[in-house]
Amino acid sequence: MAILFDAFKCTGCRGCQVACKQWNDLEAEITRNTGSYQNPPRLSAKTWLTMRFREIERNGDGLTWAFGRWACMHCAHPACVSACPVKALYKTPEGPVLWDKDRCIGCRYCMIACPFEIPTFEWEKGLFEGARIRKCTFCVDRVGAGLDPACVHTCTTGALRFGDRDELIAQAEARIQSQPERYVQHVYGKEETGGTSLLYISHVPFKELGLPTLGTTPIQERAEDAMFATPWAVIGLVTGLSGVAWLVRRRQEMMRRKGQSSEQGDKETSS
Amino acid sequence: MTNDWVDVKNSDCVLVIGANPAENHPASIAWINTARDEQGAKLIVVDPRFTRTAATSDLYCSLRSGTDIVFLGGLINYTLQNRLYNEEYVKYYTNALTLIHPDFKGPVDLDGLFSGYDHETRSYDTTSWQYQTEEQPVTVVKRATSLDDPNCVFAHLKKHYARYTPEVVERICGTPKDKFLQVAELFCATGVPDKTGTIFYAMGQTQHTVGTQNVRSMAMLQLLLGNIGLPGGGVNALRGESNVQGSTDMALLYHDLPGYLGCPTDKHGNLEAYSAKFATTSYWANGPAFFISLMKAWFGDAATKDNDYAYHYVPKVSGDYSWISLFEALYQGTIKGLVCMGQNPAVSGPNARMERKALGNLDWLVVMDLFETETASFWKAPGIAPADIQTEVFLLPAVDAIEKAGSIVTSGRRMQWRPKVAESPGEAMEDIWTLDRLVKALKDVYAGSTEAKDRPILDLVWDYGDPPDVELVAREINGYALEDVKDASGEVLVNKGEAIPGFSTIAKAADPSTTACGNWLYSGYFAPADDGSGVTMPAVKRRGQKDPGEMGFYPYWGFTWPANRRVLYNRASARPDGTPWAENKKVIWWDEEAGKWTGYDVPDFSATKPPDAEADPAGAGLDAHSGTDPFIMKPDGKGWLFAPSGLNDGPFPEHYEPLESPIQNPLSSVQNNPVITVYDTATDEEIGDRVGSADKFPIICTTYRVCEQWQTGSMSRTLPWLAEVQPDMFVEIGKELAEQKGIENGDEVIVTSARGEIRAVALVTPRWRPMNVNGGKVHQIGMVWHFGWQGLATGDIANDLTPHVGDANTRIPEYKAFLVDVRKA
Repeated sequence: MAILFDAFKCTGCRGCQVACKQWNDLEAEITRNTGSYQNPPRLSAKTWLTMRFREIERNGDGLTWAFGRWACMHCAHPACVSACPVKALYKTPEGPVLWDKDRCIGCRYCMIACPFEIPTFEWEKGLFEGARIRKCTFCVDRVGAGLDPACVHTCTTGALRFGDRDELIAQAEARIQSQPERYVQHVYGKEETGGTSLLYISHVPFKELGLPTLGTTPIQERAEDAMFATPWAVIGLVTGLSGVAWLVRRRQEMMRRKGQSSEQGDKETSS
Repeated sequence: MTNDWVDVKNSDCVLVIGANPAENHPASIAWINTARDEQGAKLIVVDPRFTRTAATSDLYCSLRSGTDIVFLGGLINYTLQNRLYNEEYVKYYTNALTLIHPDFKGPVDLDGLFSGYDHETRSYDTTSWQYQTEEQPVTVVKRATSLDDPNCVFAHLKKHYARYTPEVVERICGTPKDKFLQVAELFCATGVPDKTGTIFYAMGQTQHTVGTQNVRSMAMLQLLLGNIGLPGGGVNALRGESNVQGSTDMALLYHDLPGYLGCPTDKHGNLEAYSAKFATTSYWANGPAFFISLMKAWFGDAATKDNDYAYHYVPKVSGDYSWISLFEALYQGTIKGLVCMGQNPAVSGPNARMERKALGNLDWLVVMDLFETETASFWKAPGIAPADIQTEVFLLPAVDAIEKAGSIVTSGRRMQWRPKVAESPGEAMEDIWTLDRLVKALKDVYAGSTEAKDRPILDLVWDYGDPPDVELVAREINGYALEDVKDASGEVLVNKGEAIPGFSTIAKAADPSTTACGNWLYSGYFAPADDGSGVTMPAVKRRGQKDPGEMGFYPYWGFTWPANRRVLYNRASARPDGTPWAENKKVIWWDEEAGKWTGYDVPDFSATKPPDAEADPAGAGLDAHSGTDPFIMKPDGKGWLFAPSGLNDGPFPEHYEPLESPIQNPLSSVQNNPVITVYDTATDEEIGDRVGSADKFPIICTTYRVCEQWQTGSMSRTLPWLAEVQPDMFVEIGKELAEQKGIENGDEVIVTSARGEIRAVALVTPRWRPMNVNGGKVHQIGMVWHFGWQGLATGDIANDLTPHVGDANTRIPEYKAFLVDVRKA
């Protein structure tokens, strides 16, 4: 199964973004307007889908305001799965890339491996408090019950479609071929990094939507080579640093309890 | 809307001007996309700012805010000059051939004014705007035989619009001529029979001192192109709230009664005088019958033939009670109490800071809302000392739409019943419960009174049960038979106690007072109807999905007023001879064999009147119209390219500058709409009706909404997920202006107008660009009006900057064009 995102039809209303939070019961972040509609500015443990806003100026008076979907691509050969030393992340035969929160040790190697910058970490928690990786689940709890994913369900403009991957590819190709003056003649995700379950068609170059230019070879294969040589020490180091972060946080908490305010924000300490 | 939301899929060209459906009516984009995917339709967006609708458009065209009459006038002129109009449609279905009073003169002759202007009273004597008539033996309107007749409407139209050239559009609107011509070429190509174009508009058209004439310009263009009454055509107002159409239909406006009957004024001393205001040669000839039925619904047995059906109980309008005037009266202290239901004037009113000060002059204020709004908390606003406010404020918690049952009416006039699907929290009560208690309490207060002035309260029929049953209210609005309803021949139309099937029952009734109907336009909506599968239920509750003709009319889904009709004026969807203009644009057509109009929609015409029927000038109601007069609500049955009555500011739209403008009107020496009311309260005080000038405030500003927040934000800034996506008050500024002012993207800035100043985050963007207007460079900026001090996401109030001035006809405030300056904080 797959989702087709048509960037031309997207109006950046962000109904999908809010529906994702609502269905998955994700807490709102405290944000600020820093000169863009894009908010939250990036993915986090509390934000599994966010829309990118790009203003593209062309010659003359040409202007395009493009909206890019930023959420897990659910790769056919996921680099994150290959990079996971404890097999917490796994690829399901139906398409979704999921994770087992009990297995995850919070090493964050998947974050480094993912070419789309998708997996996020519960930075505000320490490892011993159960800080784990979070990301889009393809709404498996909805899909398993015969519903479409929350983001697709809420999309009013027809920019998001859910269905069989081959059928969606056929639809996407028919759409771009029938309107060559409108669409870039390429279905992103059909072959990129061996294929993804998120397919994109667009009226602007895909890099403007925040998508990296990738080959057709699965990153997994390269990642697996790397993983083979990865010393466990790296994981130990990451774990150790998280432990330090936890200790710092704990000390801060105790200082707060004593009525002493700490000028250092949580985010700064943990990142 | 003349058409339905779904009907947009039948369009060949969608012109969005003064609206932003992608952000404010997101679901409509699906139908626009269907039209684009299935028939290659184009989406054109004309707007001062590059919106998210513009982002998904095929053609975006900028214009200076407040110059729509010039832009649309340019399109009208382009249509006329290039003979792109549908000539047969124009000749038969509009008043193009009608002869105008020989004394009529327009802005071409009178430097921006129409004949009949009185400088002292700032109003028009409309004698010279009237049609020429002759007695033969009854009065009939004189019509020319050719569009070339110099006294006919069409000739006046051509003369009036000859000034609105592409060059003038470029000079006044700031729209590059080639861009304007691209729009003209695309949209005006829909004048052919097998193509239709639709216009979407919203507050971007209406919230101007020339708002009504903006809307008229669109209607005139559509009449010329033959786009009214056809699928995928029409003039379509995108209403700003989910049920604002319903509130308008139910007359939550000071000048109206339910179903647009119009309030009696102090000029209408009795029922006869009031009844005489309805045109006798249109469907409005039934207006008095609908009024009598309304009085029976309201006052029951107390409304009798002998007492003019309690006409004297109805308040008579004796002045201007529109928004701005009300708040001026609050400011003067003449109004002592205010009930605010689901409204937040502390944020939404023009010159809001002044309006908040006016709230402090009240003895008491009742706010019924879901949250403690800025209006409910005005006494503790930032910078206000609560001890200084003497107003007693009551906050009654209300319930959300999903926490109560009832109907809502979409912009497309489609009514849908919604059940209650969630329990309301705490002590929140439904509006109907609160109003029921209020009315019963009032009846108790006046119980036993013998004074005549108290009779309306005592005689008001109020029998909805306890707790009140919303379905009983719905039944009354639909209308029911108080007695057996009989027609003139004595045949029983509806039995006593039954719901009436539609307003034609009231019109046909020998005695309309045998019916009680709360809104004639809605009648039929709560009467039993087939849902297309043989199951009967109140029409408004139906969810039948049959779609005969596959035009997207879905006649078994809900109920569309009037009479479940999806396309208004649909007689015009057929040629004068009764055959469809084109196979792909069929709605209704004349079936010679059956002797009636047939098709996919309910005919907006006498069902059995053949196309070749002659008008009977002495006939009553629609008998006075011929078989080719589609506009049954007009006294002459024609679409009005020229408006001899009904408008305060001229029979044709003419461009005037907004009250605050950076330039002198290049078209005439009349700077502003000559009949607007300019308020001047406390102009010498720090808070007052002050008007800004371009030397101090050189930048044009406009206000708008974005899809992440809603209205004054009281329902959206209180939700963490929406506060997260649009967290701060912001102002959008073009790159060039930002550079000039030393403002970086994300900086905090101060925006000032003659009314005050606010702080906001600067969003520096290429989506706003300077324009060349009348030989000079003009900058425009824009800001959202969603913010206030309550809720999770807070910010300054945009309307603290907007002026206290309204449209010449409707008095809607001019929120969309005013002058400001901006500087880095």
